[in-house]
Amino acid sequence: MTDTEETQSAANTTSITSTTPNDKDAAKICVLLNATGNVPIIKKRTWTVDPNKTVSWIQKFIHKYLKLDQNEQIFLYVNQTFAPAPDQIIKNLYDCHGTNGKLVLYYCKNQAWG
Amino acid sequence: MAHDREVLRMIWEGQIGICFQADSDEIVGIKPEPFYLMVSRLSYLPLVTDKVRKYFTRYIAAEHQEGAVWFDFNGTPLRLHYPIGVLYDLLHPDEDSTPWCITIHFSKFPEESLVKLNTKELLESHFLSCLKEADVLKHRGLVISAMQKKDHNQLWLGLINEKFDQFWAVNRRLMEPYSDQESFKNIPVRFYNDDDFTYMQKLISPLSESGQKKNLSDLMAELSTPVRKAVGFRTHGIDLHEETQLQWMSEHLSYPDNFLHLSVDYKSI
Repeated sequence: MTDTEETQSAANTTSITSTTPNDKDAAKICVLLNATGNVPIIKKRTWTVDPNKTVSWIQKFIHKYLKLDQNEQIFLYVNQTFAPAPDQIIKNLYDCHGTNGKLVLYYCKNQAWG
Repeated sequence: MAHDREVLRMIWEGQIGICFQADSDEIVGIKPEPFYLMVSRLSYLPLVTDKVRKYFTRYIAAEHQEGAVWFDFNGTPLRLHYPIGVLYDLLHPDEDSTPWCITIHFSKFPEESLVKLNTKELLESHFLSCLKEADVLKHRGLVISAMQKKDHNQLWLGLINEKFDQFWAVNRRLMEPYSDQESFKNIPVRFYNDDDFTYMQKLISPLSESGQKKNLSDLMAELSTPVRKAVGFRTHGIDLHEETQLQWMSEHLSYPDNFLHLSVDYKSI
């Protein structure tokens, strides 16, 4: 994914890429979003995310992006293994579970891996 | 495997005296007396407060009685999915003999600052996720995924019913290095800084590059930066000796969620 593509696809929706100018402290984290089960697919799979964003922030982002109903829920899993706590930050997950420079997350509308 | 069973016992039996107070804005009529309770350090607030909730309900305005219960200490909302011992050590670090006074609320759940893991079912699935993550770090997830649903249930029931033998009969398997290894792959650990609930998590190997077992002074060096130095660690209300080995700590001082929850003291350089 290049930066250009990112800007284009982010143009008509809320950007997951933080644009805060004073965010100098840490590099952004590359997150790979995979759909699983009966959930619409987000075409753009690779995103860059501010390391201090939380899991629930990503859940809200996906919810909004897919224009889901209020009563629908997004579940997130790390590497198809466990569901991180909603207040866990992306940096912690990446530092412990990132592979090849990416944090791989799976999202679905029903509980998948318990 | 965990050999020092007495240590496991002592950690398991750690308790905190809590004095629960009502939120005066929610009370109708006479202000109730506080409710005192000894609770396990290893448990979670929603698991030990059924009686407290019941006691205060009759003093609360009818429209709030069924509300989502939450707690605060001096205005700080208490995270419902953190072990009680972790909350206490972060907010009440100077050990004294007086009970910890916290306020119970039945309304205005602070959804922005507090994750709503307020029922036993939600906590159970959170707890199991923590165990899975810890096992991914220790054994690439191989031990927990080889367990059956009934083993997972036994861990949860052992915790909520405070049955040491029931819990450890299964947890023992999670606390052994995998097959022919001498230690875990990585140590599941969360580092807290005194004034803050957010924790830092990173990969911490129990072994140094030369294959030696690492201890807390090695960990201090690992966490120190050019501007600040890690100078001490605390968990379960205990100041830890710097020669304590990380592998031993993980096996003996982890909370039931299989993570070490360490408060780190830093000194500016």
